[in-house]
Amino acid sequence: MSLAPPRLRLAAVLAVLLLAHLWLRPTLFPGRFAPDFVLVALLFFAVRSRPGAAAVAGLVVGLLTDAVTPTTFGTAAFALTIVGYAAGWLKALVFADNLLVTAVFVFAASWVRDLLELAASNALRSGAVGTQLLVVSPVAALSTAAAAVVTLFLFRPLLRSAPAL
Amino acid sequence: MPIGAERYGSRADTLAFIACLVVSLVVLALPETLRMPISAALRRTVLLPAVALEARASASREERQNTILLRAQRDSLALDAALVPELEAENARLRALLHLRARLGTGFVTAEVLHQTGIGDALTMLLGAGRNAGIRPLEPVVAPSGLVGMTIAADPRTSVVMAWTHPDFRVSAMVEGGKIFGVVAARRGETVGDVMELRGVPYRDSLPTGTPVVTSGLGGVFPRGIPIGTVLGMLRESEGWERTYLLRPAAHPAQVTHVLVLSESLAADSLEAAFDTLAAPADTDAGEAP
Repeated sequence: MSLAPPRLRLAAVLAVLLLAHLWLRPTLFPGRFAPDFVLVALLFFAVRSRPGAAAVAGLVVGLLTDAVTPTTFGTAAFALTIVGYAAGWLKALVFADNLLVTAVFVFAASWVRDLLELAASNALRSGAVGTQLLVVSPVAALSTAAAAVVTLFLFRPLLRSAPAL
Repeated sequence: MPIGAERYGSRADTLAFIACLVVSLVVLALPETLRMPISAALRRTVLLPAVALEARASASREERQNTILLRAQRDSLALDAALVPELEAENARLRALLHLRARLGTGFVTAEVLHQTGIGDALTMLLGAGRNAGIRPLEPVVAPSGLVGMTIAADPRTSVVMAWTHPDFRVSAMVEGGKIFGVVAARRGETVGDVMELRGVPYRDSLPTGTPVVTSGLGGVFPRGIPIGTVLGMLRESEGWERTYLLRPAAHPAQVTHVLVLSESLAADSLEAAFDTLAAPADTDAGEAP
């Protein structure tokens, strides 16, 4: 068991996820189905924090994500604010240590995020929305869920008993 | 354990969420002229290290793929380069064969040696030409450097050669100039193909080290003048009657890849001109066998 403070341990895991998103993902998963480590980090933070903090985190992460995709600037901020707040609110129902529940939770969050972004970007009228929501998004959500499970499996001792922020 | 049950959302959390939602909607509603500068400012400041790291990761992946590609190309080139010395050597051998062919004129068949695995390959050799090419048993087999052996069997497409390393092989030999005669055989007990013996040299004659020994033409199989080897030194004397000399072979059967099979019609001829073996014996000091 680590002797570091719980918040520090959580921050370390989030930093690892951020590095994985910036280094591991472009290196190993260059395609469109790459796992979204930032979303995993946001969800891990959200289920271990108050809903308000999770919403703020979602907004910040969303704005930064939008900054690298400026044509849809604001959509990720909108979607991740809702996802973050919902994840923080749903934590009462989530068994954070359970791998299967975590996988389903992350899968659903990833798919809902995509749905919200599509809605916010006015793309729901597009003909490709069906393919996006029924094929691309589920596969990408699956890879993100797998990344979350692996992360939880590897860092479970660090994430256990992380306090609310 | 259901975590966070005791930390359920409060009114402050709801207000924070509403505020964040409003901000995100405002950002979403920003005109294009404002979106681009804001996103650019974020990329130039907060996101600069992240974008740089991501770019570095992408470059690293590309470099790794390039490395794999370059490694494959390098391996292919190395394989090609490894074949170059062999091709050069083969080219030299073929050139030598062509030179010998030109000097021989007619009465021979060229053949490729089909080396086999196992120790038997050092004693007999399989040739890629046979009776269909005009090869018959008991015909001399030579390489550009000298005598290799003689054919002992000829199939339609292949033939078998008894190399001089075979224990049963004998060839009548002479020192260039035809003054001293003897019989050459493989030296038993030595590493196969390394050295041969010149037996039956009269006691009164001595051969200096380096003296070339060629076929004498006696016996009706080997034409006169094919190089056999050079004298390394005297091996033994037999009670004052004869001497036996150790020879360094002119051609190693294990190393030849192409040979000429001389026809029976050449048996009575002299090939001294073809092999340049008309020169006088080497003027070197006599030496003892090591």
